[in-house]
Amino acid sequence: MPENEFYTPTDMDRLRMENELLAFEVRFLKARSGGQPEITGSPISLSRMTHLEEAETDLKLLLRRIQNSPLGPVARTNKSFQTLNERYLKQPDTALTMAPAQRTVYLEGAERDLVLLLRRLGSGPLGLYFRRRKSFRTLQERYL
Amino acid sequence: MERTPTDTPEHPVFYAGRFSEEISGAGLPGDHTVLSDWDVLPAQLASALEPASILVVLDIFSFPFESLTGDLVDVPLILLLPTGYDADFLVTVFGKAAFSRLGFFDRVAAADDDLWDEVRRRYDFAQGQLVEVEDGRPEYAAVEISAALEAESVLYAPSREGDYEANRYWSERGDALAGNAPHRAICSVNHGPKFNKAIHRVQEKVLNPQIAAARGIQAEEVPFDVLEIGAGVGRWAASFDPAKTRFTGVDISEGMVEAARKNFPQCRFDLLGEDSVLPYGDESFDLSFSVTVMHHNPTPTKRALISEMWRVTRPGGRLMFLEDFVSGGWFTTSTVYPMSVNEFVGLLFEATAGQVVLEHVESIRYQHDDFTRGGLLSVSKLGVAGTW
Repeated sequence: MPENEFYTPTDMDRLRMENELLAFEVRFLKARSGGQPEITGSPISLSRMTHLEEAETDLKLLLRRIQNSPLGPVARTNKSFQTLNERYLKQPDTALTMAPAQRTVYLEGAERDLVLLLRRLGSGPLGLYFRRRKSFRTLQERYL
Repeated sequence: MERTPTDTPEHPVFYAGRFSEEISGAGLPGDHTVLSDWDVLPAQLASALEPASILVVLDIFSFPFESLTGDLVDVPLILLLPTGYDADFLVTVFGKAAFSRLGFFDRVAAADDDLWDEVRRRYDFAQGQLVEVEDGRPEYAAVEISAALEAESVLYAPSREGDYEANRYWSERGDALAGNAPHRAICSVNHGPKFNKAIHRVQEKVLNPQIAAARGIQAEEVPFDVLEIGAGVGRWAASFDPAKTRFTGVDISEGMVEAARKNFPQCRFDLLGEDSVLPYGDESFDLSFSVTVMHHNPTPTKRALISEMWRVTRPGGRLMFLEDFVSGGWFTTSTVYPMSVNEFVGLLFEATAGQVVLEHVESIRYQHDDFTRGGLLSVSKLGVAGTW
């Protein structure tokens, strides 16, 4: 948001802001009812959780895109890709049932995996191909 | 906060009760409805009050207050105090049924100043809740009340030509509104008294439990020091027991500050300068809060106000923000520019150097909206008291 001037939000902004507000409240209530360290943490811990959850979502989207792209068959032969695929796409609901502390560890792992994946894709033989895509560059800017 | 006004045309409804013939013949100006005691039977009351922007009860003795339930609780009331009765009698007969249900957006019409003062003292009403009438007889009072409602229906809003400049806009608007509608001068005032009362009710429901939580285990006999930023005409002062609370409010509008002082003489109200520096020492308050103020201001002002609120709050005390965190986005002339909750929390963390702990989060959906717009954030201040 600009520092010194107001802006006119769009409908997309409205949806995003509403989603953020409700997600923030849900995380707070979960943390409070779970009695985990989050409750006594500062608000930044909730912001951090938001960031981690976004990283997990971005990682899943990236994996799905790679899998469905022309590179999919090649990628599926790669053991690291198989591991990521197994961990984040084949067990989508396990993270939701985890205790808050476990979930934090899981999400931090997802963020680390996403960073590694982005580095590998960006510096590999197909790096130029990926870097030409705007969505990839956005992810690089966000996480690297 | 800004909202879309409801489509139903609304106008004042006068409950004349036993005096319906006299009131109907009194020649009330403007669009209005007059109800007799037959019109307010429980089965009919809801439809009779459907178009009511405000309900003026001229015959307090025959009105079924207990039937004001559901959506009807949001209809603002004006109760005419009958002449010839003293305060003890009126409070005994109508205290529980009528007076105790009056909130900041309800009013009392009275011709007798002493009677008003006595009722006001007992129920901590604000001076702005008085509608002064010369003659307390229903048929004459109705004409005066009707004229007063007509006069205040024309509300001032500064021109939005050019850039919106928050301090100037709210200072000018506040000064004008405070003179015209001191009982309901809030940012969404243009949407009518029923709308304002409904919003206030929702906000009160969210805020009051957190105010109680902020007081916590502090002993009753220890005064609870409260600061409101953007206090306007002081409507939130009514939520605190003056016997146990030292309420202070600041506002950028001189007119608002003056109106607030008249409304709540037992509280303190000060003018806030454009530099957003609060005129109080460090660690002066147990609770600092704002209600729909931050979202009208640009980021640097928000940051300065949060930082100042943190400075004047005692360690262990609370800071509360009841704001819009979602934008409607359809008003081209909107003065509401909220940050998303994540952005706001980031700013809160930055402005307080992280020395706060999140205590409560609650989203708020106003009944006129089809989406969740507002939210309450309550944080406590970390640190060790500098003074004991």
